Amino acid sequence: MTTFREVTKWKTQYQKRQWEATPYEDREFQSALYEKDGPVARITLNRPEKRNALNDAMFSDLMAGLHKANDDNNVKVVIIRGAGPNFSAGHDLSSPIGEESPPVHPSLAPNVRDFYNIERRRCSKHEDIFNFPKPTIAQVHGYCIGAGLEIQAACDFTIASEDAQFGLRGFGVAPTGLYGHNAGPWPSGSQRQWAGKILPELSGKDMEMTGAINKAVPLDKLEQETNRWAEALAAQSSEALAVTKEFINGMLDITGYGAMWRTHYEGHVMIQWVRFRRDEVSFYKSKKDRGLKGFLQERAMHATPKKKEGSE
Amino acid sequence: MQYETIIYEEENGVGVITLNRPQKMNAVNDRMLEELDDILRVKETDIDIKAMVIKGAGPCFSAGQDLSGEGNSEVMPPDSKAGLSTKDLLDAGTRWNRRLEYIFNYLKPTVAQVHGHCLGLGCYLAMACDITIAAEDAVFGDPSLRMGLLTGIPLWTWFIGTKKTKELLYLGRYIDAKEAEDICLINTVVPSGELNQEVKKYAEALTLSPGDGMVVAKESLNAQMEARGVGAAWRFLTQSQTINWMQQSQIPADEFNFWEIRDKKGLKEAIEERDSTIEKLFPKP
Repeated sequence: MTTFREVTKWKTQYQKRQWEATPYEDREFQSALYEKDGPVARITLNRPEKRNALNDAMFSDLMAGLHKANDDNNVKVVIIRGAGPNFSAGHDLSSPIGEESPPVHPSLAPNVRDFYNIERRRCSKHEDIFNFPKPTIAQVHGYCIGAGLEIQAACDFTIASEDAQFGLRGFGVAPTGLYGHNAGPWPSGSQRQWAGKILPELSGKDMEMTGAINKAVPLDKLEQETNRWAEALAAQSSEALAVTKEFINGMLDITGYGAMWRTHYEGHVMIQWVRFRRDEVSFYKSKKDRGLKGFLQERAMHATPKKKEGSE
Repeated sequence: MQYETIIYEEENGVGVITLNRPQKMNAVNDRMLEELDDILRVKETDIDIKAMVIKGAGPCFSAGQDLSGEGNSEVMPPDSKAGLSTKDLLDAGTRWNRRLEYIFNYLKPTVAQVHGHCLGLGCYLAMACDITIAAEDAVFGDPSLRMGLLTGIPLWTWFIGTKKTKELLYLGRYIDAKEAEDICLINTVVPSGELNQEVKKYAEALTLSPGDGMVVAKESLNAQMEARGVGAAWRFLTQSQTINWMQQSQIPADEFNFWEIRDKKGLKEAIEERDSTIEKLFPKP
């Protein structure tokens, strides 16, 4: 039997943030594109035919793009956006066995330490975006699901189209909470924001209302609006801004943000052993029996409330 | 102590401190800090005063720190060219944070009555009070970053959450009272003509509770905030400020330098340049 250790090429990097550990020199950016426009760097998730589903190649280009933007002293702001129909549909669930982006395949029989390492790496990518030393803006349109949702939450700002669709669907039928690991309202006292947190899906307009994102605008104004924010950020004192970001993120650490990242990936580890009841949808079983599309259909069917006896 | 920059009055168990440099938009200078320190200290033990109101005379609550460069060595960051030791910088930051922390933990309920500009240190003062009531014409914001400075209070994330904090601090955006109410930066907004009356009502309500019971309530609420990390936050800010002040001596040449413009063209011009770049993109309310 093939084991996890034989298949995966990933090694845990404790000492570096993941974008630092991803070289950008001589790289042909494909799954995510990198371009520079004055003080603004744009990283565009670029697998439009797959709705920018995140696989290892895309994460690698994204990380390398951040690395490049970090090293370029003229870059003062980074915008992350999606090409084609949406920002991102989340982890690519069709990724081959051994890729890091989707959940570890059970056939690889990883042990607990393998799980800890892989989940720490998966989740710390978002943490590393969160702590990126320059200001970041997520420009969100269309679907922004799962890992896509996490990426926008880890950015300093999110500007979205009003009709964008934010959500987290999980690998079974149960929604696991809208903001995923990165509690948008953390640690605000606003009840509206906490209420939004448990909803499985919200539009850009609703996200703006809860305070989880900064602004929602009509789709045709999205780029213009995002550029306005980028321009304002680029005009700021870059050094003092770096201190301010470190300070604000430090405030969040004080309130337990560090422990939050940790509990999140521990949750991922635990979820590997979740037992599905017969009437629940298991990702791997369903995918094996029905294929990816079949799984998606089954999940959608089970996530739709059933009509009660005798009701219309 | 003879007060020159504040007025202190008492009525029906409520103490009212009025910031009183209306011709300077109640900009806080060293003298005002000293007088605030004094009146708060003297009145903290006066059991007949059961609530404290802070407001501004003239056009606004307060436009923030006095940036003129005269009589403001305590209220502004230490001079980056003075070659001060790290200890001196840490001391200055500690004093700054202890002052606001003291008001935050003041052993009486406090109300900020805000109209017009409430920026920078003005905004921090309003945040350190227990309750903030604003008139419709109030404007809140923190332009520190535009001058290369870190914000001066750590409470933002606890009050308004992550993304909104970054929005107000990174952009230096000014917001109106309605938005401030929406994001929980303040308690409530009332029509300008009703501000005085509304605050009187709140203050009177605060005097109705037993004074000692009120102190216990405030202590326990603030203990909850400490449990959520606010205690450590003041110290963290001191350290970040020290880093920020050390860095001031090397502002990149191609970036906006508020202090250089102030010294060459005057304060008014510097403030105008500071605000115009952002206001072009995010108009002032």
